[in-house]
Amino acid sequence: MKPLSRRTILRGTVGGLAVAIGLPWLEAMTGSTRRARADGSFPKRFGVWFFGNGVIPEQWTPAAEGSAWQPSSLMMPLSAIKEHLCVVTGTRVNTLNTTPHGSGPAGLFSGDSLSGSEFTQGSSFRAATFDQRIAEAVGGDTRFRSLETAVQPAQYGIAHAGPNMRLPIEPDPRRLFNRIFGEGFRAPGEMTMPDPRLSLRRSVLDAVAGQSRTLAARVGVEDRRRLDAHFTAVRAIEQQIARLESNPPNLASCRRPDMPPESIPDVMGRPDMRTKSRIMSELLAMAMACDASRVFFHMYSQPVNNTLFPSATSGHHQLTHDEGGAQPQVAMILRYIMEDFATFITTLSRVQEGDETLLDHTLVMLTTDCSFGRTHSVDEYPMIFAGGRSHGLRRNTHLRARGENASKVSLTLMQMMGLRVAEFGIGAGRVTEPLAGMTT
Amino acid sequence: MNLRTCFLLSTVIAASVACTPAPTSPTDAGVADGNDGAVVDDVPPVDVQVPPPGPFQPTDPRLRRLTRAQYTNAIRDVFDETLIVPRSLEPDKRPEGSSSIGGTETTISQRGTEQYQDAAYDLAEQILRNPTRRARYVTCTAAGVRDDACAGTFLRTIGRKLWRRPVTDAELATLVAISGRAAEALMDFHRGLEFGLSALLQSPNFLFREEMGTVRGVERRYERYELASRLSFFLWNGPPDDALLDAAEMDQLQGDSLATQVDRMLQSPKLRRGLEAFVTDWLRLDELDFIARDATLFPSFGADFGPSAREEVLRTISWIVLEQNADFRDVLTTRESFVNRRLASIYGVTFPSRGAGPNQFERITYSPTQPRQGILGMAAFLALEAHPTSTSPTLRGKYVRELILCEAVPPPPVGVNTAIPEPNPNARTLRERLQVHQEVTTCRGCHRFLDNIGLGFENFDALGRFRREDNGAVIDPSGFIDTTPFADPSSMAQALRNHPGFPRCVVNRLYRHAWGFKEEEAQREEIERLSRSFAQDGFHLRGLLRTIALGEAFRRARAIEIPPLPPLPIPDGGAPDAQSDAGRDASATDAGATDANNTDSSADAGTEADR
Repeated sequence: MKPLSRRTILRGTVGGLAVAIGLPWLEAMTGSTRRARADGSFPKRFGVWFFGNGVIPEQWTPAAEGSAWQPSSLMMPLSAIKEHLCVVTGTRVNTLNTTPHGSGPAGLFSGDSLSGSEFTQGSSFRAATFDQRIAEAVGGDTRFRSLETAVQPAQYGIAHAGPNMRLPIEPDPRRLFNRIFGEGFRAPGEMTMPDPRLSLRRSVLDAVAGQSRTLAARVGVEDRRRLDAHFTAVRAIEQQIARLESNPPNLASCRRPDMPPESIPDVMGRPDMRTKSRIMSELLAMAMACDASRVFFHMYSQPVNNTLFPSATSGHHQLTHDEGGAQPQVAMILRYIMEDFATFITTLSRVQEGDETLLDHTLVMLTTDCSFGRTHSVDEYPMIFAGGRSHGLRRNTHLRARGENASKVSLTLMQMMGLRVAEFGIGAGRVTEPLAGMTT
Repeated sequence: MNLRTCFLLSTVIAASVACTPAPTSPTDAGVADGNDGAVVDDVPPVDVQVPPPGPFQPTDPRLRRLTRAQYTNAIRDVFDETLIVPRSLEPDKRPEGSSSIGGTETTISQRGTEQYQDAAYDLAEQILRNPTRRARYVTCTAAGVRDDACAGTFLRTIGRKLWRRPVTDAELATLVAISGRAAEALMDFHRGLEFGLSALLQSPNFLFREEMGTVRGVERRYERYELASRLSFFLWNGPPDDALLDAAEMDQLQGDSLATQVDRMLQSPKLRRGLEAFVTDWLRLDELDFIARDATLFPSFGADFGPSAREEVLRTISWIVLEQNADFRDVLTTRESFVNRRLASIYGVTFPSRGAGPNQFERITYSPTQPRQGILGMAAFLALEAHPTSTSPTLRGKYVRELILCEAVPPPPVGVNTAIPEPNPNARTLRERLQVHQEVTTCRGCHRFLDNIGLGFENFDALGRFRREDNGAVIDPSGFIDTTPFADPSSMAQALRNHPGFPRCVVNRLYRHAWGFKEEEAQREEIERLSRSFAQDGFHLRGLLRTIALGEAFRRARAIEIPPLPPLPIPDGGAPDAQSDAGRDASATDAGATDANNTDSSADAGTEADR
């Protein structure tokens, strides 16, 4: 059956016509994907777990390749989750490396070099990041197309919905909780009366979308692109409200998590990254389990961050440059970050979904902003993949891909998420084939 | 050398010594050993012959999205100061360090749309559920649950202020219908009105400033309502007030009456807000919210440090510009400042008032023997350009080069070893430890350019506290700017004040702030005109603001093509590269939407001439 158009109904309501507000038409409109999945399958999710300031390649790359691999010294905290991991080493970002900490993420995620000279609030990407292309493809079924979150209070994110469209990020656990599990959220089995204000809100959005179109007729081509993004966003929020009005999905593992504290106090004057990371991990896991979203970009720490980690004598970024020798303090910080990553993966693996787990149905990519933090190299780009059993990820392995274009990884991930794309990137970042060996 | 390069060099006055951008390779393969051949050495003095500029050519008219501060100011100006404006809004973008340029580039993301939506309902509730405010803004009495006339009166009045132009009849009809339908559903007139008000607040007509200009000959010109917005956001960082909107309506924003309006605006208390918006961008004061310091090393650091440090800079510059009407260059050398208890304890000065709260600032005057003077002696700069546990002469030097002198500093080359020695008997101070950067050929070009300024601030630690020693050794705060030597921070401040690059830099940043574009060769004439005027006027910033606001160039825009709007694309029934088919509207109805918009457009076209 062809889905009923929401537009038809809204047009009537905006004109002031009294229209019966009720659920039946909504269910007809939203179709079957949102309800219990008839075949008992679970959605495929994708997420990025990102940290800033690179690694120490010599201590990062595992010695052995393939299934004989053992975690390297920096990966020791990942030993317990080793069976879930696919470590990929040796790829490099081929786009211009002109901007420390910015060129790597730009090349890897957008396939193009960075616009702007310094990776701060000023510069941005020339194309959408591939996580957003995935979100565009699979996010339409969920209330939130994607979630952009952070542990360290970050000034700017990496995910871009399009050229110059850097997405805001949520570093506050309480606010993230309220957004996903606050007003309007209903866990399975909780039935409340639909709120009449929701449909009124949609009629407001419909008018706003109309104003955006009208304004677009009066401006130049560049501005039209900007307004088109706004128009599309307004339409997406309308859809998000429609999701709120419909019944929640029948995903048995979904529950409302505990409300996080309003703030997480510092420990000895230093941010408590561990506690905050644990709370954000639980919120993200439940957001996936409740099918509020299927795509996330989680920024544990941002590029160039100078976070004071426990017992370090200086900020993280400063140490990557100033510390000599084998950089024992930087290594200590990296192991600390890997411990938090392991906690995140374990959190996903504890959510049961049918005979498998949420981790099996979620493909997680761990990466950072450069290879060697000290030199800003983008050769030997650090990446670890976790989970993704239902995506066909080859797990418990170390894939050595010396000299391969990192864009191949991005293309592979989009294909693993079901996108029918045959190429990714521009210029030196362009590839037309996936990275061999990542899938089973 | 092309014109663009010429121009860039011309903005870099006296760039006799500069570090040149390191060559970059497509990849850094093979350079990871630190030997990338990108030798950046001392650059010989460049004698730049700058040709006279061609006639000013305006830039494209652009939509400008409100910054967070402009959104807040708009709400407070249209309603009142006591409203709590939600702070979770689409973030600003600062290309070239300018949120004004960012405003011409940014769009509104899905998350941003959600945030604006939440803010709109939050504000509508604050305004229409509070009996005092409701009585103030809704001046008619509703005849029943639904009263379209009364709703229309409210929405038309408030809409003109929020959208900074009259709301057209067609637009008003939609808003009234939304309010009426909501009133009926919720059985309450004012609850219904919340939806109409919220629609005004979520509208692109509020969130974007529509400044497209009117075609006049071969160009476009900003006139009437558009010029009113341009002026008020430039000078006040907020929307036009009623007097300015009325002047626009009566087509009085030209000639002497324009000058009268601008002079009125320059005397308004709101000018301080406009000045602060510029200074916050220029000196990157927004970043003060994100600095972190090791609490064991810096017990006087706390959550209010960043806001306090920012307030000190803003108050001092406002004092010089607005109260004293002094030479703007004094911001680098003034011995007057404004501190609260937190800053007084960091600076080791006696705080005049007893029992004052953190928001209480007092003006203090340093004696000439004290080392602290001007904005570069303040905690904002000194802490912003430092690490959590230590200072950074390189970052401080870079700040001076880029923000005070508008000189370009390229990023460090890829693939170099940046480690510096730990403190040791041979190199105790940071100056001695950084010596390696002055010797290695790959590093020294830029590090001499930066560190020889930055090391002059070594008497101030990472929080801005004064110190005589570093690791037990006496600090040598001398250095040089290009060829001008200085002995200490005071003589450096004096040298920077007299540097011809400084006022030119201020003009350059103010130009970008006012226009929302980075200047190109085609706009050099205006910048040179402003620079001359600034100097002739004794470097009074208020005078420079007036020169910009009344200038012809401020009203001119390039004639751009505005082609007919194509109809919405019709989806082909399924996402080609997606697993799902959700997220796409069914095609059959989009034609209907286009019809509705066309009706709106023609209604607007009827009023276009009025704008």
